[in-house]
Amino acid sequence: MSREMVLLIIGMSVVSLAPRMLPIGTLSRLEFPERLQEWLSYIPAAVLGSLLAMSILIRDKALAINISNQYIWAFIPTFVVAVFTRNLFYTLAVGIGCMALINNFL
Amino acid sequence: MDKKQETLTGIKDAFPVVLGYLPLGFAFGVLANNDAAMTVGEATLMSIMCFTGAGQYIAVGMIKEGAAMATIILTNFLVNLRYFLFATSLVPHFKAVPTRIATLLSYGLTDETYAVSVTHYARHPATAYYLAGLNLTSHLSWIGSSALGTYMGKLVTDTQKFGLDFALPAMYTVLLVLMINRKQDAIVAAVAALICLVIGGLVPGSLVNMSNVIIATLIGATLGVTLKK
Repeated sequence: MSREMVLLIIGMSVVSLAPRMLPIGTLSRLEFPERLQEWLSYIPAAVLGSLLAMSILIRDKALAINISNQYIWAFIPTFVVAVFTRNLFYTLAVGIGCMALINNFL
Repeated sequence: MDKKQETLTGIKDAFPVVLGYLPLGFAFGVLANNDAAMTVGEATLMSIMCFTGAGQYIAVGMIKEGAAMATIILTNFLVNLRYFLFATSLVPHFKAVPTRIATLLSYGLTDETYAVSVTHYARHPATAYYLAGLNLTSHLSWIGSSALGTYMGKLVTDTQKFGLDFALPAMYTVLLVLMINRKQDAIVAAVAALICLVIGGLVPGSLVNMSNVIIATLIGATLGVTLKK
């Protein structure tokens, strides 16, 4: 293992872990004001909305809102199953299954 | 609280995350070996110590381009900044978990484990056992698949054939559906998605360090507070 690679990994480790661990370690004793708690309660929806939009509509580092973006086609049945079953496993099965069909046959 | 049951629930909830990580980790290993000439030991150590999918892919790409170590680390810092926000939003859930343990287990906080755990905490209280089951299982699958990918290196198999490239988008879809409990949540999610895409479209560099996600989240959550109940 090269010395330079080890140093790089250590550096990356520090900047990757600090943002995850520091808030939990330092802020846990504080009681957040109600307004801040309400603000924080919207973060999951905002994060997931952003990540989902990116995972479907950004292909090869560029916005891809067109009919040749196959992820959009796989997303439609996946979303329908997610709404009606609210079940992680069924949604994954349908999403992955549709994508496999599209990748192999279209 | 049943410790065994909590741990098992965590492991079970990690299942979709693992399904997504296996091809992603494997692909990382293949790239690390082919593009960045990393050994199995180096790639595995990186997956153990960093556990940052986007960050590790960026590192491999930048090593290939011959970037300076400091540049790679700085980019990784920017990519991982969003976790500051995620972790802060988890703080109110961890009141009953010993701080030291919660901090240690936050090592395994990623986009995916975050999404799964906040969905769980919307209905169940957080416990250290659940968090350990979820985060450690997810991390192990990341380490194992990236080690295997590096080891298999040149024998690249086509994960797309099995549709596994859609595992993470499918997981985000159902998690978002489960996250929408108030009308305001749907509005916040839609606005954040839009802002995220607009910024990504206008400033392509933001897609690399994912700063568009951070900005969209900040604006989205702020909008949420101002919405009428």
